[in-house]
Amino acid sequence: MRVSRRTFLKTALVGTTFLVGSKYFKKGFTEVSKDEGIKYVRSTCSPNCTGACGFNAMVHKGRIVALIQAADYPEEEYNPRGCLRGQSMVNLIYGPDRLKQPLIRVGKRGEGKFKAVSWDEALDYAATKLAEIMKKYGPESVASFIQVPGTGYVQKGALVRLSSALGWSVIHAYTMNGDLPMFWPITFGVQTEELESLEWANSKYTLICGSNILWTRVPDAKFLHLSRERGGKVVVVDPNYSPTAAAADEWIQINPSTDSAFALGLAYVILTEGLYDADFVKTYTDLPLLVRLDNQKKLRAEEVAGLSAQARAMKARLPEYRECYVVYDVNSKRLVIPDPENLKRNFDPLLEGELEVTLVDGKKVKVKPAFQLLKEEVLANYSPEKVAQIIAPSSDRVKEYEELIKRIGREIATIKPLHIVYGASNYQWYHGDLKGRAYSLLVALTGNLGKSGAGISTYAGQYRIRWPLGAWWQFKGKPLKWVSFLLWLNKEFRESEVFKKYNTETPYPPNDVKALVFGWGNPFDQHNLANRLREKALNGELELIINFDFQMATSVAWSDVILPGVAWYEKYDLTATILHPYVQLQQPAIEPLFQCMPEIWICKELAKRVVEKLGDEELKKQIREFYVNPELFDKEEEARRKGEWNLKLARELAHQASLDAADIMLKTGGPLVEGITLEALKKGPVRLNLPTPNKRQLVFYEQIQEYKPFPPVSYPAPLPKTARFVKSGRIEFYKDEDVFIDLKETLPVHKDPIKETEHKIMKEKYPLIYITRNRLYSVHSTHSNNITMLELQDFRPRVWIHPDTARKRGIKEGDLVEIYNERGKVYAYAVLDPGIHPQVVTFEEGWWSRYLRGTSYNTLIYPWIKPTHIIYFVPGIWEASTCWNEAACEIKKA
Amino acid sequence: MPRWGMAIDLGRCIGCRSCAVVCKIHNSLPPGTWWQRVETIGAKVHHTPVGRYPDFSEVYLPVPCQHCDNAPCVKVCPVGATWQREDGLVLIDFERCIGCRYCMTACPYGVRQFNWQNSDKNFKEAFKKLGFSQNWFADSSYRPGYPYEHRTKDGRLVFTPKRPRGVVEKCTFCVQYVDQGLPPACVRGCPGNARIFGDLNDPNSLISQVIKRRDVIRMREDLNTSPKVYYLLPEYKSYRGKIIYEKILKAFERMAVNL
Repeated sequence: MRVSRRTFLKTALVGTTFLVGSKYFKKGFTEVSKDEGIKYVRSTCSPNCTGACGFNAMVHKGRIVALIQAADYPEEEYNPRGCLRGQSMVNLIYGPDRLKQPLIRVGKRGEGKFKAVSWDEALDYAATKLAEIMKKYGPESVASFIQVPGTGYVQKGALVRLSSALGWSVIHAYTMNGDLPMFWPITFGVQTEELESLEWANSKYTLICGSNILWTRVPDAKFLHLSRERGGKVVVVDPNYSPTAAAADEWIQINPSTDSAFALGLAYVILTEGLYDADFVKTYTDLPLLVRLDNQKKLRAEEVAGLSAQARAMKARLPEYRECYVVYDVNSKRLVIPDPENLKRNFDPLLEGELEVTLVDGKKVKVKPAFQLLKEEVLANYSPEKVAQIIAPSSDRVKEYEELIKRIGREIATIKPLHIVYGASNYQWYHGDLKGRAYSLLVALTGNLGKSGAGISTYAGQYRIRWPLGAWWQFKGKPLKWVSFLLWLNKEFRESEVFKKYNTETPYPPNDVKALVFGWGNPFDQHNLANRLREKALNGELELIINFDFQMATSVAWSDVILPGVAWYEKYDLTATILHPYVQLQQPAIEPLFQCMPEIWICKELAKRVVEKLGDEELKKQIREFYVNPELFDKEEEARRKGEWNLKLARELAHQASLDAADIMLKTGGPLVEGITLEALKKGPVRLNLPTPNKRQLVFYEQIQEYKPFPPVSYPAPLPKTARFVKSGRIEFYKDEDVFIDLKETLPVHKDPIKETEHKIMKEKYPLIYITRNRLYSVHSTHSNNITMLELQDFRPRVWIHPDTARKRGIKEGDLVEIYNERGKVYAYAVLDPGIHPQVVTFEEGWWSRYLRGTSYNTLIYPWIKPTHIIYFVPGIWEASTCWNEAACEIKKA
Repeated sequence: MPRWGMAIDLGRCIGCRSCAVVCKIHNSLPPGTWWQRVETIGAKVHHTPVGRYPDFSEVYLPVPCQHCDNAPCVKVCPVGATWQREDGLVLIDFERCIGCRYCMTACPYGVRQFNWQNSDKNFKEAFKKLGFSQNWFADSSYRPGYPYEHRTKDGRLVFTPKRPRGVVEKCTFCVQYVDQGLPPACVRGCPGNARIFGDLNDPNSLISQVIKRRDVIRMREDLNTSPKVYYLLPEYKSYRGKIIYEKILKAFERMAVNL
């Protein structure tokens, strides 16, 4: 007997909550119930996956004995959010690596020898050193960083506030993590945009390109299944067969980093068969805009005879970041200036053809709509026959791939809504931007934006914040200074001709970076150039390293002063990541362990003490306002004077100050958080006031449905900073900044990987590609030392290789192998996996050095910086990034 | 009287092992002990594909105690320490178990484990093996898991966070929670909503409805153990790549005993 899948779903989905309260269970009650001694506290699991899952801590005698998903999201489908990592978080809170008190280094850096000291001693020592460096080299020589702000607006914000108060430089974690999906600002002018996973279920076609969301988005993965249960199709495009591919209808194996060819091959089918949504293309994209053939720039209205006066008048009323371009209206048969601030169209622009235009100076130039140029490019270079040669993993499959490209092209053009998930593993290549631009083209050509279940999403590198947080993050409104991690550690690039040629606005501290203050990160083994960071620590160029952590992670051993922080069950914080639109609180389920303290207090104390040492009278007077309510600051100082100060009091005040900070951020946050109160958040998650039906998180809803110009604002960057990326107010596939013209990347094109980067070393000695994917058992570095997660990995790091690759090198299943190139090496145990592309070696990132025989898996990787990244500098949106997977290697039995 | 059972939807399971982990923490299992495993059917290493390139497939199989109605473990226990409670839960009385391990041999699903040593030792050895700075929790009296002993109405000890040495233990369907009206931790903790727990005696319960309406199998039906864990077959995965799902099913039956 069967019911329809939908009927079953309906019952299945209400099932979970229904069961919890079900009276059927009452029958099973024993007389013995001793649960009175247990209380549950709701907090938010907040590591760098940004999943932000509500968890209930089961507290007994002041300790968290277990955790279980809170399952309190109003949309029943979301419940329960949370995964194996969050469920076993107690292993980190109470585990052997937990820090107990402040430490000052006594041995060599990296050696891990410390003396335990009092908070006063540690803070005064840190403050004295910081003040010295600030006086000697300038305050901007102190660099700070936090990771993923959305996971903790209050505590992470406190370090930003401290940096703002003291004039330090901030390193945006983006450049360290290298997961900058550059196609977003290039094409849409935003940091990122994405569907919330609830919307995946509404897609009828999901194209997942190089993303393993079954591992990286465990609580969201079910929505892929829901989509399929509701009749949707899921296709995975990936060099490797992944668990996500296993959950899909189809797996298309392509050669590494050839996605742009694949996407443009699909575009070929769509363009040649006339399957594109012409209305969408004309209304929302820059493809109808005319491009000058003589200089490859978009034709500006001001240059055109007969339009210049109108253009000047328009520009006078437009924001500075806008530019007036030109289309040819086939209805009125004349040139028209589309309004860059309003996408509503009262003209019918020419898409194909060539025109001659007279410029103001009388010169005649040939112009074509960008669409015409795109079509020429795609037709010339991306026929299914040509593309199949590039993407097919073996020559005997080329014919099959030609047919496949045609079929998929037709499918994505006709089955709607289409959602493309573009994975971080895929955009972390030198030409990651081109691939993203090509995939974006597909959603635009098929009109799949601004609707339920439609769009393109990247579920990594989402560094936006949800609303303006200046009231807390900036101390008395002081602006932030910035420095780029990669430029700091990559002097040869900083001094290169390319950098000098294209860089116009990237700041750099005049006396270099001399001190590093950081928390929530593990830069000494988790980042590109970690080896250089270690060098700088060893040779003394880096004079001071201060670290907030709650565990003995690798970077602790490299730090001079360790100020022990807390986990998200020991403090108040405000969480609002980009992954789903819920605002949530972290709430203390227990007292901070040992002498650990909430980071807001550590930052406040550092601020106070540095200001004293600096002797800056003005700042001294102001610093009591570090806590939003200066009375809390005064109260603690008074207790100190009276000799009544103790940790408990300091913690109570810090908790209150954290709530105050959360409160002020909500009260000054504008319409998105209007009406969201602390009281409501204490009870559970509250959805942001998104301007969409049912407040759903959709991709560019207002632009598509309400004709608002691109881009929507990406907080915290002010709109003028990002809107200049898309001056036309439209989705831009034709880029005419000089660098794009120089690199022949005005349009999305395919460029082979490795060619411009590792070609030489690959040709000579290292024929394999070293890919570092995310593990199921950690969130990057977090949970690397989780004993339960280690057990599930047989207690050892593993590397996944194709059986042929292994056989050629005499490697058998389970062998210890060395993966190496001329820059570094790493050890792991071989897993022979026939789903791995034969040219690829897949290592799992996040491992601490201590599990890798002291090596760091990042030493093999060199951060190639593409010139397109440096023409603007907007922290975390458009700046130099790395490309982890563009790395050649060889592998041998160790 | 209810008769508790569980249904696991293989179409929804993503093999993430959250069920195994949440079980481990809530039931105070030390390193080396798992009451619940999740493996990829037919693969040597979890989450690696089976089948011939490029027609790969991965189906994940979570295996808790099957709480058989006709449980071989109950039959072989010489002291009556393992028994089936009226509500269908197969439980072990830790105070009565003599550690003979006949039940482990009898169980065709390999879900029973023996406490060779004090569980603190398991932690210490694992911490040491993994290069931690010390071989115990930073908070020295800390222990994860549901903190109370749990006894049945007639006083039999079926859960205790401090497990005695020399006894056999296994999944209890979280008897400590079920007796308080809560589903087992793995059901509450499954992020894929792959599990349903409920009363098999009640024809209107969700689990009864689902079992009636979906294609289900139980492991090793041929042994007549009559498990109360039902596996829902992935309807919409009937044709995946070019692999016929029935082939996997055959592998599934062969695999079951080897887990």
